[in-house]
Amino acid sequence: MKAVLILLALPAILLPLACFVYIIIQALPALNWELLMGSNTTSGSLFAGTAGTGHGLWGQISGSLLMMLLACFLAAPLALSIALFHALWASPYQQRMMVILLQVLQGIPPIVYGLCGLIVLVHLLHWGISLAAGGVILALVILPLLSSNAIHALERIPIAQTESAKALGLSVGAVIVRVWLPSAWSSMLTGLLLAMARALSETAPILFTATVFSGITWPDSIFSPVTSLQTHIFYLAQEGSNAHAVDMAWASAAVLLGLVLCFSLMARLLRRYEGAL
Amino acid sequence: MLKSPLYLLLISACMVALISATVLFWFLWDSSWPYWQAFGISQLWAPEWYPYESLYGLLPAIIGTAWAIFIAMIIAVPCGLAAAIVSSEILPRFWQGWLRLMVELLAGIPSVVYGLIALWLLLPWLQNSFDLLTGHSLLAAGMILSLMILPTIMLMSYDALRLIPIEQREAGMSLGMDWNQCLLRILLPQAWPSIRSGILLALGRALGETMAVMLVVGSMDRLPQPIYNILEPAQTLTSRIGREMGEAAFGSMHFSALIACGLVLAVMAICLSLLAQHHKPAVTQ
Repeated sequence: MKAVLILLALPAILLPLACFVYIIIQALPALNWELLMGSNTTSGSLFAGTAGTGHGLWGQISGSLLMMLLACFLAAPLALSIALFHALWASPYQQRMMVILLQVLQGIPPIVYGLCGLIVLVHLLHWGISLAAGGVILALVILPLLSSNAIHALERIPIAQTESAKALGLSVGAVIVRVWLPSAWSSMLTGLLLAMARALSETAPILFTATVFSGITWPDSIFSPVTSLQTHIFYLAQEGSNAHAVDMAWASAAVLLGLVLCFSLMARLLRRYEGAL
Repeated sequence: MLKSPLYLLLISACMVALISATVLFWFLWDSSWPYWQAFGISQLWAPEWYPYESLYGLLPAIIGTAWAIFIAMIIAVPCGLAAAIVSSEILPRFWQGWLRLMVELLAGIPSVVYGLIALWLLLPWLQNSFDLLTGHSLLAAGMILSLMILPTIMLMSYDALRLIPIEQREAGMSLGMDWNQCLLRILLPQAWPSIRSGILLALGRALGETMAVMLVVGSMDRLPQPIYNILEPAQTLTSRIGREMGEAAFGSMHFSALIACGLVLAVMAICLSLLAQHHKPAVTQ
């Protein structure tokens, strides 16, 4: 029995690790400073197969980060308000409904959010394929994750602390700022970092609502299209015959992976620090 | 206190979130309405999808989705569960923490990166070993999905097993149970509710995964011939939306058929998460 279990478990542990190592090995030859910082507005048409395969990923990196930041700015205040409402005023029935609703929303595939955004934001509101549409859609995708994290963070505060603060005559605002914030900020920040990693790695919802293949390094306004790392990998992956495109695809994958791991590692470290407190 | 400015601020923020979610889903329903009106619910099991001849049957994509999920679960559930048992019951304490950290990080790898790997490693391998035209197939989609949902299953099962107090294991041992009996009679039954919701969560993720599947499934809109043939290109609901959304004109029947695919997907996902809700243990902490 033990032997069978170990045999079954080995691929589960080794295969993902092997994938990870493979990406790094594939990407190493193409990775350098020029690649990260260079822009990629090589002249040339899409049909010639040269557009978007120039040297440089700066446009894609900045596009991804911009969309992620916009999504977090929109979603974080909403998530905080939802969590505070859940903790302060919701009745037990309302609390239960809120948690169920959040989990249902979290289970809905991101591409469905992309479809909704395409109908409402891109077509009905005439925002067009734009940074704003991508940001709002990503905000909706991460909102359930962010809110349930914030709710858990507030629930973990011992009830005795809150009650003694109230007994000392503190107002609601003072309880939030002086008692809850100092003890919950680190787990809320962990949640935010995880949500940022999630927003960076979502591809399907922004594929036809926010991004174009190439030609944009820095968007002119919030209503102009952007390029992003995630969709760049997708487009390049389909150009199998072009060796340069393939190199760029692996390099983009490594950069994206690096960014995502950066955020999720920070989140884990923060969680350890929180455990040590 | 009830009417304090803070209360008004919070409740309006909650309302904004609720209303925007409702509005989005209302438009999902509204845009697919022409499709349901023209063809009716029976399109769910109509076997033909040719947008140029106005045939919009959803059956091929639904069958494709079901096959991909089934293959993924068949591989991922035993492996993930075994990995969880090995890491929580056999590995020494020191390695457990590192393994858990590693699996958590692996769970965060973006799906499009998995797609790239599948395209470059999995497809040529399948092509050679099964002598196929291209490697694009339901089998490839299922295999890459299984790799993506492994971390989810493993993490949930691992946490459930770790939550069982050590006294339980010791009580089992003192009754003369060996390791196997202890595992099958004590540990797994207790951890089962969490393992089950982990599996349902992974199922939901496999259902909605788009990019990796889209790159390897081949996008062929017809039923597998015969129905258990998983070595041919096929189509899933998500890959169809991803492939054809760009070319469907806003307001056309094709567009509303694709929105209908999205609606079917959303309904399936909602059912799954309600199912995962149902039997949750009260509070484990």
